[in-house]
Amino acid sequence: MIYLDNAATTKPDESCLEKASIFNVDNFYNPSALYREGLNNASEIKKAKKTILKCIGATQEFECLFTSCGSESDNQAIFCAVKRGVYVTDKGEHSAVYKSFLELKNRGNTVEFIDLNSDGSVNIDKLFDYVKNNRVDFVSIIHVNNETGAINDVNFIAKTLKSINPKIVFHVDGVQAYGKIPYVLSRDIDLYSISAHKINALKGVGALIKKKKVSIAPLIFGGGQENGLRSGTENIFGIKVFEYASAKHYDNILESYNYVLGLKNRFIELLDRDVFTIISSDNSSPYILSVSAKGVRGEVLMHSLEEYKIIVGNGSACSSKNPFSRVVEACGYDKKILDGVVRISFSIENTLEEVEFAVDKLNCTARKLKGIMRV
Amino acid sequence: MKEAIIIRYCEIHLKGKNRGYFEKLLKENIKNSLNGFDYKFTVLHSRYLIEDFNENDYVAITEKLHKIAGIHTYSRAYVVDSDFESIFNACKVLCEGKFGSFKVETNRADKFFTPNSVETSRLIGGRLIEIYGKNIYVNIKEPSFVVNIDIREDGKTFVYTDTIHCMSGMPVGSAGRGLLLISGGIDSPVAGYMTIKRGMKLDCLHFHSFPYTGEAAKEKVIELTRRIGEYNGGINLYIVSFTHIQEAIHEKCPEEYMITMMRRFMMRIAERLSKKIGCQAVITGESLGQVASQTIESITSSNSVIESQPVLRPLICFDKNEIIDISKKIDTFETSILPYEDCCTVFLPKFPSIKPNLDRVIKSEKNLDVESLIEEAMANMEIHHL
Repeated sequence: MIYLDNAATTKPDESCLEKASIFNVDNFYNPSALYREGLNNASEIKKAKKTILKCIGATQEFECLFTSCGSESDNQAIFCAVKRGVYVTDKGEHSAVYKSFLELKNRGNTVEFIDLNSDGSVNIDKLFDYVKNNRVDFVSIIHVNNETGAINDVNFIAKTLKSINPKIVFHVDGVQAYGKIPYVLSRDIDLYSISAHKINALKGVGALIKKKKVSIAPLIFGGGQENGLRSGTENIFGIKVFEYASAKHYDNILESYNYVLGLKNRFIELLDRDVFTIISSDNSSPYILSVSAKGVRGEVLMHSLEEYKIIVGNGSACSSKNPFSRVVEACGYDKKILDGVVRISFSIENTLEEVEFAVDKLNCTARKLKGIMRV
Repeated sequence: MKEAIIIRYCEIHLKGKNRGYFEKLLKENIKNSLNGFDYKFTVLHSRYLIEDFNENDYVAITEKLHKIAGIHTYSRAYVVDSDFESIFNACKVLCEGKFGSFKVETNRADKFFTPNSVETSRLIGGRLIEIYGKNIYVNIKEPSFVVNIDIREDGKTFVYTDTIHCMSGMPVGSAGRGLLLISGGIDSPVAGYMTIKRGMKLDCLHFHSFPYTGEAAKEKVIELTRRIGEYNGGINLYIVSFTHIQEAIHEKCPEEYMITMMRRFMMRIAERLSKKIGCQAVITGESLGQVASQTIESITSSNSVIESQPVLRPLICFDKNEIIDISKKIDTFETSILPYEDCCTVFLPKFPSIKPNLDRVIKSEKNLDVESLIEEAMANMEIHHL
């Protein structure tokens, strides 16, 4: 099996699972409990937070609260930091942010979606223009676009936003960046969402890194865990796996980055450019490559590759109501390109041979299908 | 007080000398469907009785009854001895908490029971008013509920208020076997349901065209088939790979005839499979004029390849809305509208022929090796027992 859908989720790291397994079986105690075993677990969670904050280079001004997923982190940032007002984001957001903004609109707030550049990054001129001309309260920008891999320079955006209006609360969805892109969290960023299962940890754990000064309300009420900001008994096993996976990723983040970049470049090099259009730009994340075979439906291409035990992601879900990827559509491509989008996303587990085999099959299949399909 | 479920059947009482056959079949279907529950089953004159069931099973049992073709209605009744006081007590319990107008209706099979039917209704109604007069009043013409008293010859009496309608129709198996072409859309499961309702036992055939359609589309069809299988007493789903046939048609035949040709192949395969597995008819969800492939010309073209069996089209004169209503009723709608492509959409020509000319269709079909394509498809068939 050649797994090239690592932006969807990644394979859990066995050594991290092994290392954390003591918290799954022996140290199962509730971290809120007042006996020694509970307190131990509470301090293990503290350690995990410290590791994660250190990984991303966050200063003492930041704290970390664990949630159940990246989507929850996004939701808490969006709904709980500002009560009402003017909210700004871009058209290239993950649904967790995009749909939340639609909900904000439903609730009577002013919401603005800023246009994208053709590679999927946010058009910063338009963003800054809007912020200059309006009294904006909250901005959310994705760090690495989950469909095209475009990297937004969030530190620069943060700095500029704060210089225009220091009162803006700025949230960054860092789910596809954390553990992958070498990056140091800027002090101008208020909230940063991350997710465990994108870096070979487990599903069911996410985190919201927040500036201590920024006050947010809880999304989930209850027993008062995470300083009352996120109630619910902590998933200690998942959190520890997340910690170990983070440490492992950040230990070699540059080597991994360059290795994956090599895979991606090889892939592009071998890709049949007569058939495929590359949507991702040259300076996008090496982990994500979005291509389109004009005239071949992405989903069919994806299914065809299944026969060779190659798994890729499809950008265009074949739903009759909304057949195209919202994000790639916002990049300004025409219908034929949109129809053929597939997303290839790498990880350090992929080998050069796998990539070469996959790209060869992708070329053959697309050429064959192109003759057959009328799209 | 002892409780029972009284089950009444539908058209069977119109039958003459072969009535026993239908009654027996329905009895077997009910018993098969209620396999796993504890209960006592009794056959009465033109109705069945389920007694001694576990109170907690009542909802599950009635859910099953709603999916058995041939059952017209059922009622949950108290079974009491045929003496006036016991009957009255049962009526009293039934009316507790009820509001609005009512009447009492007595049916006296035991002619030795006194007082007579009219008198019994009157006396019991009167005493009910004495107790619940604040909440209920008599209205003989348009009561909001009826207290039924059914005095049997065996010394027992049923007392009940509600009569719940089921799917009616004829017992499954009484009208032979048929093969349903199921696509994954809204119509074909409804067509299947309607045929089952008339007593035909179904098998299903689906055409899958991997990689043009994915696993999700297949799962959807399996789920739909399972749903209608609940009415069928289990069901077999045959999945035939249609990819090579589609590719061959695409390559060698005029684009506008793509769908016409596909349907002709489907019909041929359906007829062969139907004969092979002992079915007597092919069933489709076609509705006249709904899409290009369902005009009378298109139906003529696909119908002409099938020679030895009838093609039943239960939805032929139904509007889309009527079909959707039924699909909601039988709980297939939500699955049908899931957004996975089914067989037809990928190869959809821009301008499909609405009125295919049969001579031209036959002529362009000569470009294909029809026989070997069909044989190949039939050889690679998946079977699911659902």
